[in-house]
Amino acid sequence: MGPFLEALIRAFRMILTVDPEVYSAVGTTLYVSTVSLVLSLLFGIPAGFLLGYASFPGRRVLRTFVDTLLSLPTVLIGLLVYGLLTHNGPLGRFELLFTVHAIVIGQSLLGFPIVTALTASAVEALDQRLRLTLLSLGASPLRRCATSLREARYGLLAAAVTAYGRVLTEVGIAIMVGGNIKWHTRTLTTAIALETNKGDFAAGIALGLILLLMASGVNAALYGLRKRA
Amino acid sequence: MRFSSSPACSRSLSSCPLLYIFQDVEQAYKGRTVLSVARWSVRRGTVLGLVGPNGSGKSTLLRLMGFVEFPVRGTIFFEGRRISRKDAQALRLEVTLLPQDPYLLDRTVADNVAYGLSVRGVRRGRAARVQEALQWVGLDPGVFGGRSVRALSGGEARRTALAARLAVRPQVLLLDEPTAEIDGDSVQRVRSAILHARSNWGATVVVTSHDREWLLTFCDEIQEMRDGRLTGPIAAKATIGVQ
Repeated sequence: MGPFLEALIRAFRMILTVDPEVYSAVGTTLYVSTVSLVLSLLFGIPAGFLLGYASFPGRRVLRTFVDTLLSLPTVLIGLLVYGLLTHNGPLGRFELLFTVHAIVIGQSLLGFPIVTALTASAVEALDQRLRLTLLSLGASPLRRCATSLREARYGLLAAAVTAYGRVLTEVGIAIMVGGNIKWHTRTLTTAIALETNKGDFAAGIALGLILLLMASGVNAALYGLRKRA
Repeated sequence: MRFSSSPACSRSLSSCPLLYIFQDVEQAYKGRTVLSVARWSVRRGTVLGLVGPNGSGKSTLLRLMGFVEFPVRGTIFFEGRRISRKDAQALRLEVTLLPQDPYLLDRTVADNVAYGLSVRGVRRGRAARVQEALQWVGLDPGVFGGRSVRALSGGEARRTALAARLAVRPQVLLLDEPTAEIDGDSVQRVRSAILHARSNWGATVVVTSHDREWLLTFCDEIQEMRDGRLTGPIAAKATIGVQ
Protein backbone atom coordinates (compact mmCIF):
# COMPACT_ATOMS: atom_id res chain seq x y z
CA MET A 1 0.00 0.00 0.00
CA GLY A 2 1.47 3.33 -0.98
CA PRO A 3 1.92 6.04 1.66
CA PHE A 4 -0.75 8.25 0.05
CA LEU A 5 -3.40 5.52 0.05
CA GLU A 6 -2.47 4.67 3.62
CA ALA A 7 -2.78 8.35 4.53
CA LEU A 8 -6.18 8.58 2.90
CA ILE A 9 -7.48 5.58 4.85
CA ARG A 10 -6.04 6.96 8.09
CA ALA A 11 -7.59 10.35 7.45
CA PHE A 12 -11.05 8.82 7.06
CA ARG A 13 -10.48 6.62 10.11
CA MET A 14 -9.46 9.71 12.17
CA ILE A 15 -12.63 11.48 11.10
CA LEU A 16 -14.99 8.54 11.46
CA THR A 17 -13.66 7.26 14.79
CA VAL A 18 -13.87 10.81 16.22
CA ASP A 19 -10.22 10.76 17.26
CA PRO A 20 -10.25 13.25 20.21
CA GLU A 21 -6.72 14.47 19.56
CA VAL A 22 -7.52 15.25 15.95
CA TYR A 23 -10.81 16.90 16.82
CA SER A 24 -9.07 19.05 19.45
CA ALA A 25 -6.63 20.25 16.78
CA VAL A 26 -9.48 20.83 14.33
CA GLY A 27 -11.40 22.83 16.98
CA THR A 28 -8.36 24.94 17.87
CA THR A 29 -7.60 25.54 14.18
CA LEU A 30 -11.15 26.61 13.45
CA TYR A 31 -11.30 28.85 16.53
CA VAL A 32 -8.02 30.71 16.01
CA SER A 33 -8.42 31.12 12.25
CA THR A 34 -12.03 32.30 12.47
CA VAL A 35 -11.41 34.81 15.26
CA SER A 36 -8.27 36.02 13.44
CA LEU A 37 -10.24 36.47 10.22
CA VAL A 38 -13.00 38.42 11.99
CA LEU A 39 -10.40 40.73 13.58
CA SER A 40 -8.57 41.12 10.26
CA LEU A 41 -11.83 42.06 8.53
CA LEU A 42 -12.87 44.39 11.34
CA PHE A 43 -9.71 46.47 11.03
CA GLY A 44 -8.64 45.65 7.49
CA ILE A 45 -11.83 46.65 5.65
CA PRO A 46 -11.99 50.24 7.02
CA ALA A 47 -8.23 50.64 6.56
CA GLY A 48 -8.37 49.26 3.01
CA PHE A 49 -11.37 51.40 2.16
CA LEU A 50 -9.57 54.55 3.31
CA LEU A 51 -6.49 53.55 1.39
CA GLY A 52 -8.43 52.90 -1.81
CA TYR A 53 -11.05 55.66 -1.55
CA ALA A 54 -9.51 58.69 0.11
CA SER A 55 -6.67 60.82 -1.15
CA PHE A 56 -4.16 62.06 1.40
CA PRO A 57 -0.45 62.84 1.47
CA GLY A 58 1.66 59.70 1.60
CA ARG A 59 -1.11 57.43 0.33
CA ARG A 60 1.04 55.86 -2.38
CA VAL A 61 3.88 55.17 0.05
CA LEU A 62 1.45 53.61 2.53
CA ARG A 63 -0.12 51.53 -0.26
CA THR A 64 3.31 50.21 -1.28
CA PHE A 65 4.11 49.45 2.36
CA VAL A 66 0.88 47.47 2.82
CA ASP A 67 1.56 45.57 -0.41
CA THR A 68 5.03 44.73 0.90
CA LEU A 69 3.49 43.32 4.10
CA LEU A 70 1.70 40.74 1.96
CA SER A 71 4.93 38.84 1.67
CA LEU A 72 5.78 39.05 5.36
CA PRO A 73 7.11 35.65 6.53
CA THR A 74 4.95 34.08 9.22
CA VAL A 75 7.99 33.26 11.36
CA LEU A 76 8.85 36.96 11.41
CA ILE A 77 5.36 37.79 12.67
CA GLY A 78 5.74 34.96 15.18
CA LEU A 79 9.05 36.44 16.33
CA LEU A 80 7.50 39.91 16.67
CA VAL A 81 4.52 38.64 18.68
CA TYR A 82 6.84 36.45 20.77
CA GLY A 83 8.93 39.54 21.57
CA LEU A 84 5.81 41.45 22.59
CA LEU A 85 4.27 38.70 24.71
CA THR A 86 7.33 37.14 26.29
CA HIS A 87 7.66 37.51 30.06
CA ASN A 88 9.99 40.52 29.76
CA GLY A 89 8.21 41.97 26.73
CA PRO A 90 5.96 45.06 26.73
CA LEU A 91 2.81 42.90 26.93
CA GLY A 92 4.32 40.15 29.08
CA ARG A 93 2.20 40.95 32.13
CA PHE A 94 -0.91 39.67 30.31
CA GLU A 95 0.62 36.15 30.20
CA LEU A 96 -0.68 35.42 26.72
CA LEU A 97 2.33 33.58 25.35
CA PHE A 98 1.62 29.91 24.50
CA THR A 99 -2.15 30.45 24.55
CA VAL A 100 -4.63 30.45 21.67
CA HIS A 101 -4.95 34.23 22.17
CA ALA A 102 -1.31 34.65 21.20
CA ILE A 103 -1.94 32.69 17.98
CA VAL A 104 -5.02 34.86 17.31
CA ILE A 105 -2.93 38.04 17.70
CA GLY A 106 -0.26 36.73 15.34
CA GLN A 107 -2.69 35.43 12.73
CA SER A 108 -4.67 38.69 12.85
CA LEU A 109 -1.44 40.54 12.07
CA LEU A 110 -0.98 38.12 9.17
CA GLY A 111 -4.52 38.60 7.84
CA PHE A 112 -4.73 42.37 8.33
CA PRO A 113 -2.46 43.46 5.43
CA ILE A 114 -4.09 40.89 3.13
CA VAL A 115 -7.58 42.24 3.83
CA THR A 116 -6.34 45.86 3.70
CA ALA A 117 -4.51 45.50 0.39
CA LEU A 118 -7.25 43.50 -1.33
CA THR A 119 -10.00 45.84 -0.04
CA ALA A 120 -8.02 48.84 -1.31
CA SER A 121 -7.65 47.15 -4.71
CA ALA A 122 -11.38 46.33 -4.85
CA VAL A 123 -12.31 49.93 -3.99
CA GLU A 124 -9.79 51.36 -6.48
CA ALA A 125 -11.30 49.14 -9.18
CA LEU A 126 -14.81 50.56 -8.66
CA ASP A 127 -16.32 52.34 -11.63
CA GLN A 128 -15.28 56.01 -11.65
CA ARG A 129 -18.90 56.99 -12.42
CA LEU A 130 -20.11 55.62 -9.09
CA ARG A 131 -19.02 58.71 -7.13
CA LEU A 132 -20.87 61.13 -9.41
CA THR A 133 -23.99 58.93 -9.35
CA LEU A 134 -24.05 58.79 -5.56
CA LEU A 135 -23.45 62.53 -5.26
CA SER A 136 -26.16 63.32 -7.78
CA LEU A 137 -28.66 61.11 -5.93
CA GLY A 138 -28.00 63.05 -2.72
CA ALA A 139 -26.17 60.34 -0.75
CA SER A 140 -24.43 61.58 2.41
CA PRO A 141 -20.68 60.89 2.85
CA LEU A 142 -21.41 57.93 5.14
CA ARG A 143 -23.98 56.52 2.72
CA ARG A 144 -21.51 56.95 -0.16
CA CYS A 145 -18.92 54.92 1.74
CA ALA A 146 -21.42 52.17 2.61
CA THR A 147 -22.74 51.96 -0.95
CA SER A 148 -19.22 51.91 -2.40
CA LEU A 149 -18.30 49.05 -0.07
CA ARG A 150 -21.40 47.17 -1.13
CA GLU A 151 -20.50 47.69 -4.77
CA ALA A 152 -17.07 46.23 -3.98
CA ARG A 153 -18.56 43.22 -2.17
CA TYR A 154 -17.13 40.55 -4.49
CA GLY A 155 -13.66 41.99 -3.98
CA LEU A 156 -14.20 41.99 -0.21
CA LEU A 157 -15.31 38.38 -0.33
CA ALA A 158 -12.15 37.52 -2.28
CA ALA A 159 -10.13 39.32 0.42
CA ALA A 160 -11.85 37.27 3.13
CA VAL A 161 -11.26 33.98 1.27
CA THR A 162 -7.59 34.78 0.66
CA ALA A 163 -6.98 35.89 4.24
CA TYR A 164 -8.77 32.84 5.64
CA GLY A 165 -6.75 30.51 3.44
CA ARG A 166 -3.55 32.13 4.67
CA VAL A 167 -4.33 32.04 8.41
CA LEU A 168 -5.80 28.54 8.22
CA THR A 169 -2.68 27.06 6.69
CA GLU A 170 0.10 29.03 8.40
CA VAL A 171 2.40 27.19 10.79
CA GLY A 172 5.17 29.61 11.81
CA ILE A 173 3.09 31.79 14.13
CA ALA A 174 1.19 28.88 15.70
CA ILE A 175 4.42 27.08 16.60
CA MET A 176 6.36 30.13 17.83
CA VAL A 177 3.71 31.77 20.01
CA GLY A 178 1.34 28.82 20.54
CA GLY A 179 3.98 26.28 21.48
CA ASN A 180 2.12 23.30 19.93
CA ILE A 181 0.71 22.22 23.33
CA LYS A 182 -1.47 19.12 23.04
CA TRP A 183 -5.18 19.76 23.84
CA HIS A 184 -4.52 23.52 24.12
CA THR A 185 -2.67 25.24 21.31
CA ARG A 186 -2.05 22.40 18.88
CA THR A 187 -3.51 23.26 15.49
CA LEU A 188 -3.67 21.00 12.44
CA THR A 189 -0.62 22.63 10.89
CA THR A 190 1.51 22.31 14.02
CA ALA A 191 0.32 18.71 14.40
CA ILE A 192 1.39 18.00 10.80
CA ALA A 193 4.82 19.51 11.52
CA LEU A 194 5.12 17.35 14.67
CA GLU A 195 4.10 14.09 12.97
CA THR A 196 6.50 14.76 10.10
CA ASN A 197 9.34 15.43 12.56
CA LYS A 198 8.50 12.16 14.25
CA GLY A 199 8.78 10.45 10.85
CA ASP A 200 5.09 9.48 10.67
CA PHE A 201 4.50 10.83 7.17
CA ALA A 202 1.18 9.04 6.76
CA ALA A 203 -0.24 10.75 9.87
CA GLY A 204 1.08 14.09 8.56
CA ILE A 205 -0.56 13.56 5.18
CA ALA A 206 -3.80 12.41 6.82
CA LEU A 207 -3.96 15.59 8.91
CA GLY A 208 -3.14 17.59 5.77
CA LEU A 209 -6.10 16.01 4.01
CA ILE A 210 -8.38 17.00 6.89
CA LEU A 211 -7.03 20.56 6.65
CA LEU A 212 -7.72 20.54 2.92
CA LEU A 213 -11.27 19.32 3.56
CA MET A 214 -11.81 22.19 6.02
CA ALA A 215 -10.46 24.76 3.59
CA SER A 216 -12.73 23.38 0.85
CA GLY A 217 -15.73 23.59 3.18
CA VAL A 218 -15.00 27.20 4.07
CA ASN A 219 -14.46 28.14 0.43
CA ALA A 220 -17.70 26.42 -0.59
CA ALA A 221 -19.57 28.36 2.11
CA LEU A 222 -18.04 31.65 0.97
CA TYR A 223 -18.81 30.80 -2.66
CA GLY A 224 -22.42 30.21 -1.62
CA LEU A 225 -22.40 33.65 0.03
CA ARG A 226 -21.12 35.21 -3.18
CA LYS A 227 -23.97 33.71 -5.17
CA ARG A 228 -26.45 35.23 -2.74
CA ALA A 229 -24.72 38.63 -2.55
CA MET B 1 -29.28 75.34 5.53
CA ARG B 2 -32.78 74.44 4.30
CA PHE B 3 -33.99 75.13 0.81
CA SER B 4 -37.62 75.50 -0.02
CA SER B 5 -39.46 73.26 -2.45
CA SER B 6 -41.66 75.92 -3.95
CA PRO B 7 -44.51 74.90 -6.22
CA ALA B 8 -44.40 75.40 -9.97
CA CYS B 9 -44.52 78.91 -11.30
CA SER B 10 -47.86 79.05 -13.08
CA ARG B 11 -47.51 82.56 -14.47
CA SER B 12 -45.68 83.54 -17.64
CA LEU B 13 -42.05 82.45 -17.66
CA SER B 14 -40.64 85.98 -17.45
CA SER B 15 -42.49 86.64 -14.20
CA CYS B 16 -41.24 83.48 -12.46
CA PRO B 17 -38.58 84.04 -9.78
CA LEU B 18 -34.93 83.42 -10.57
CA LEU B 19 -33.76 80.04 -9.34
CA TYR B 20 -30.10 80.15 -10.39
CA ILE B 21 -27.87 83.15 -10.88
CA PHE B 22 -24.30 82.66 -12.13
CA GLN B 23 -21.95 85.58 -11.55
CA ASP B 24 -18.51 85.58 -13.18
CA VAL B 25 -18.34 81.81 -12.82
CA GLU B 26 -15.27 80.05 -14.14
CA GLN B 27 -14.40 76.38 -14.05
CA ALA B 28 -10.96 74.99 -14.84
CA TYR B 29 -9.38 71.54 -14.76
CA LYS B 30 -5.60 71.30 -14.29
CA GLY B 31 -5.29 75.02 -14.98
CA ARG B 32 -7.27 74.92 -18.25
CA THR B 33 -10.44 77.00 -18.24
CA VAL B 34 -13.35 74.95 -19.59
CA LEU B 35 -16.26 77.19 -18.66
CA SER B 36 -16.67 80.91 -18.30
CA VAL B 37 -20.06 82.47 -17.56
CA ALA B 38 -20.17 86.21 -16.86
CA ARG B 39 -23.81 86.51 -15.82
CA TRP B 40 -26.58 84.04 -16.41
CA SER B 41 -29.82 83.08 -14.74
CA VAL B 42 -32.48 80.40 -14.90
CA ARG B 43 -36.06 80.99 -13.83
CA ARG B 44 -38.02 78.55 -11.73
CA GLY B 45 -40.20 76.17 -13.73
CA THR B 46 -38.25 76.60 -16.95
CA VAL B 47 -37.53 73.71 -19.27
CA LEU B 48 -34.22 74.81 -20.69
CA GLY B 49 -32.31 73.16 -23.50
CA LEU B 50 -28.55 73.46 -23.92
CA VAL B 51 -26.97 72.77 -27.30
CA GLY B 52 -23.41 72.98 -28.50
CA PRO B 53 -20.58 70.88 -29.88
CA ASN B 54 -18.62 68.39 -27.79
CA GLY B 55 -16.36 70.16 -25.31
CA SER B 56 -18.43 73.34 -25.34
CA GLY B 57 -18.96 73.14 -21.55
CA LYS B 58 -22.52 71.78 -21.34
CA SER B 59 -21.70 68.91 -18.97
CA THR B 60 -19.50 71.15 -16.82
CA LEU B 61 -22.32 73.67 -16.52
CA LEU B 62 -24.72 70.90 -15.46
CA ARG B 63 -22.28 69.58 -12.84
CA LEU B 64 -22.01 73.08 -11.37
CA MET B 65 -25.81 73.43 -11.39
CA GLY B 66 -26.07 70.02 -9.71
CA PHE B 67 -23.61 71.09 -6.98
CA VAL B 68 -21.49 68.02 -7.56
CA GLU B 69 -18.55 70.30 -8.25
CA PHE B 70 -17.75 73.92 -7.53
CA PRO B 71 -16.26 76.70 -9.68
CA VAL B 72 -12.69 77.88 -9.27
CA ARG B 73 -13.96 81.46 -9.49
CA GLY B 74 -17.25 83.32 -9.26
CA THR B 75 -20.50 82.89 -7.38
CA ILE B 76 -23.58 80.78 -7.85
CA PHE B 77 -26.82 81.90 -6.22
CA PHE B 78 -29.67 79.43 -5.73
CA GLU B 79 -33.05 80.75 -4.60
CA GLY B 80 -31.31 84.05 -3.93
CA ARG B 81 -28.70 82.54 -1.61
CA ARG B 82 -25.00 82.49 -2.30
CA ILE B 83 -23.98 78.84 -2.38
CA SER B 84 -20.87 77.43 -0.73
CA ARG B 85 -19.54 73.88 -0.47
CA LYS B 86 -21.13 73.34 2.93
CA ASP B 87 -24.59 73.80 1.38
CA ALA B 88 -23.97 71.13 -1.25
CA GLN B 89 -25.26 68.11 0.66
CA ALA B 90 -28.63 69.74 1.44
CA LEU B 91 -28.94 71.09 -2.09
CA ARG B 92 -28.30 67.72 -3.72
CA LEU B 93 -31.50 66.47 -2.09
CA GLU B 94 -33.40 69.09 -4.13
CA VAL B 95 -31.37 69.08 -7.32
CA THR B 96 -30.51 65.89 -9.14
CA LEU B 97 -28.28 65.25 -12.13
CA LEU B 98 -28.48 62.45 -14.66
CA PRO B 99 -24.92 62.20 -15.99
CA GLN B 100 -24.17 61.60 -19.66
CA ASP B 101 -22.98 58.07 -18.97
CA PRO B 102 -25.02 57.05 -15.91
CA TYR B 103 -23.91 54.29 -13.58
CA LEU B 104 -26.35 51.79 -12.14
CA LEU B 105 -25.72 50.06 -8.83
CA ASP B 106 -25.17 46.31 -9.07
CA ARG B 107 -28.69 45.57 -7.82
CA THR B 108 -32.15 45.16 -9.30
CA VAL B 109 -33.87 47.86 -11.33
CA ALA B 110 -36.32 48.54 -8.48
CA ASP B 111 -33.48 48.84 -5.94
CA ASN B 112 -31.76 51.38 -8.17
CA VAL B 113 -34.88 53.48 -8.51
CA ALA B 114 -35.52 53.26 -4.76
CA TYR B 115 -31.98 54.34 -3.82
CA GLY B 116 -32.62 58.09 -3.91
CA LEU B 117 -35.80 57.60 -1.88
CA SER B 118 -33.96 55.62 0.76
CA VAL B 119 -31.29 58.38 0.90
CA ARG B 120 -34.10 60.84 1.64
CA GLY B 121 -35.60 58.58 4.31
CA VAL B 122 -38.80 57.97 2.32
CA ARG B 123 -40.30 54.75 3.66
CA ARG B 124 -44.03 55.11 3.27
CA GLY B 125 -45.20 54.51 -0.28
CA ARG B 126 -41.68 53.83 -1.52
CA ALA B 127 -42.69 50.81 -3.62
CA ALA B 128 -45.55 52.76 -5.21
CA ARG B 129 -43.22 55.63 -6.12
CA VAL B 130 -40.74 53.23 -7.65
CA GLN B 131 -43.49 51.66 -9.77
CA GLU B 132 -44.77 55.08 -10.78
CA ALA B 133 -41.32 56.29 -11.84
CA LEU B 134 -40.72 53.15 -13.89
CA GLN B 135 -44.04 53.67 -15.64
CA TRP B 136 -43.13 57.30 -16.44
CA VAL B 137 -40.11 56.10 -18.39
CA GLY B 138 -42.02 53.28 -20.06
CA LEU B 139 -40.58 50.33 -18.12
CA ASP B 140 -43.20 47.85 -16.91
CA PRO B 141 -42.53 47.47 -13.15
CA GLY B 142 -43.79 43.88 -13.23
CA VAL B 143 -41.30 42.94 -15.92
CA PHE B 144 -38.31 45.12 -15.05
CA GLY B 145 -38.60 45.77 -11.29
CA GLY B 146 -36.92 42.55 -10.17
CA ARG B 147 -34.49 42.36 -13.06
CA SER B 148 -30.77 42.71 -12.46
CA VAL B 149 -29.30 45.80 -14.12
CA ARG B 150 -26.79 43.49 -15.82
CA ALA B 151 -29.65 42.15 -17.96
CA LEU B 152 -30.68 45.58 -19.31
CA SER B 153 -30.06 46.99 -22.76
CA GLY B 154 -28.38 50.40 -23.08
CA GLY B 155 -31.71 52.19 -23.55
CA GLU B 156 -33.35 50.37 -20.62
CA ALA B 157 -30.38 51.21 -18.40
CA ARG B 158 -30.66 54.89 -19.30
CA ARG B 159 -34.38 54.91 -18.61
CA THR B 160 -33.77 53.16 -15.26
CA ALA B 161 -31.28 55.88 -14.35
CA LEU B 162 -33.82 58.54 -15.34
CA ALA B 163 -36.54 56.80 -13.29
CA ALA B 164 -34.20 56.88 -10.26
CA ARG B 165 -34.04 60.69 -10.62
CA LEU B 166 -37.76 61.12 -11.24
CA ALA B 167 -38.70 58.96 -8.23
CA VAL B 168 -37.28 61.56 -5.82
CA ARG B 169 -39.34 64.32 -7.50
CA PRO B 170 -36.52 66.83 -7.51
CA GLN B 171 -37.03 70.55 -7.61
CA VAL B 172 -34.42 70.71 -10.37
CA LEU B 173 -33.78 67.94 -12.88
CA LEU B 174 -30.54 68.16 -14.86
CA LEU B 175 -30.26 65.76 -17.78
CA ASP B 176 -26.99 65.40 -19.65
CA GLU B 177 -27.61 63.95 -23.13
CA PRO B 178 -30.49 61.75 -21.93
CA THR B 179 -31.28 60.55 -25.44
CA ALA B 180 -27.78 59.59 -26.55
CA GLU B 181 -27.65 56.09 -28.05
CA ILE B 182 -31.32 55.28 -27.44
CA ASP B 183 -34.05 54.47 -29.95
CA GLY B 184 -36.87 56.74 -31.16
CA ASP B 185 -39.49 55.29 -28.82
CA SER B 186 -37.25 55.81 -25.77
CA VAL B 187 -36.56 59.39 -26.89
CA GLN B 188 -40.28 60.13 -26.78
CA ARG B 189 -40.51 58.46 -23.35
CA VAL B 190 -37.78 60.76 -22.05
CA ARG B 191 -39.60 63.78 -23.48
CA SER B 192 -42.89 62.84 -21.84
CA ALA B 193 -41.12 62.11 -18.52
CA ILE B 194 -39.58 65.61 -18.60
CA LEU B 195 -42.93 67.24 -19.27
CA HIS B 196 -44.48 65.08 -16.57
CA ALA B 197 -41.88 66.27 -14.04
CA ARG B 198 -42.73 69.88 -14.79
CA SER B 199 -46.48 69.55 -14.86
CA ASN B 200 -46.75 67.25 -11.83
CA TRP B 201 -44.43 68.86 -9.31
CA GLY B 202 -43.19 71.95 -11.07
CA ALA B 203 -39.64 70.77 -11.69
CA THR B 204 -37.20 73.10 -13.38
CA VAL B 205 -35.50 71.02 -16.07
CA VAL B 206 -32.23 71.61 -17.89
CA VAL B 207 -31.48 69.22 -20.77
CA THR B 208 -28.40 69.02 -22.95
CA SER B 209 -28.67 67.42 -26.36
CA HIS B 210 -27.18 67.52 -29.83
CA ASP B 211 -30.69 67.14 -31.21
CA ARG B 212 -31.86 70.73 -31.52
CA GLU B 213 -35.10 69.73 -33.26
CA TRP B 214 -36.03 67.43 -30.40
CA LEU B 215 -35.36 70.16 -27.83
CA LEU B 216 -37.52 72.58 -29.83
CA THR B 217 -40.53 70.31 -29.31
CA PHE B 218 -40.73 70.93 -25.56
CA CYS B 219 -38.18 73.47 -24.25
CA ASP B 220 -39.21 76.96 -23.17
CA GLU B 221 -35.79 78.24 -24.08
CA ILE B 222 -32.71 76.88 -25.82
CA GLN B 223 -29.25 78.24 -25.09
CA GLU B 224 -26.25 77.62 -27.28
CA MET B 225 -22.79 77.02 -25.86
CA ARG B 226 -19.45 77.27 -27.59
CA ASP B 227 -15.89 77.14 -26.22
CA GLY B 228 -17.08 77.15 -22.62
CA ARG B 229 -19.35 80.17 -23.05
CA LEU B 230 -23.08 80.69 -23.34
CA THR B 231 -23.54 82.39 -26.68
CA GLY B 232 -27.17 83.33 -26.15
CA PRO B 233 -30.68 81.96 -26.59
CA ILE B 234 -31.49 80.54 -29.98
CA ALA B 235 -35.17 79.86 -29.34
CA ALA B 236 -37.69 80.69 -26.66
CA LYS B 237 -41.35 80.25 -25.99
CA ALA B 238 -43.26 83.19 -24.60
CA THR B 239 -44.85 81.32 -21.73
CA ILE B 240 -44.35 78.14 -19.87
CA GLY B 241 -46.90 75.39 -20.07
CA VAL B 242 -46.74 75.25 -23.84
CA GLN B 243 -46.14 71.64 -24.83
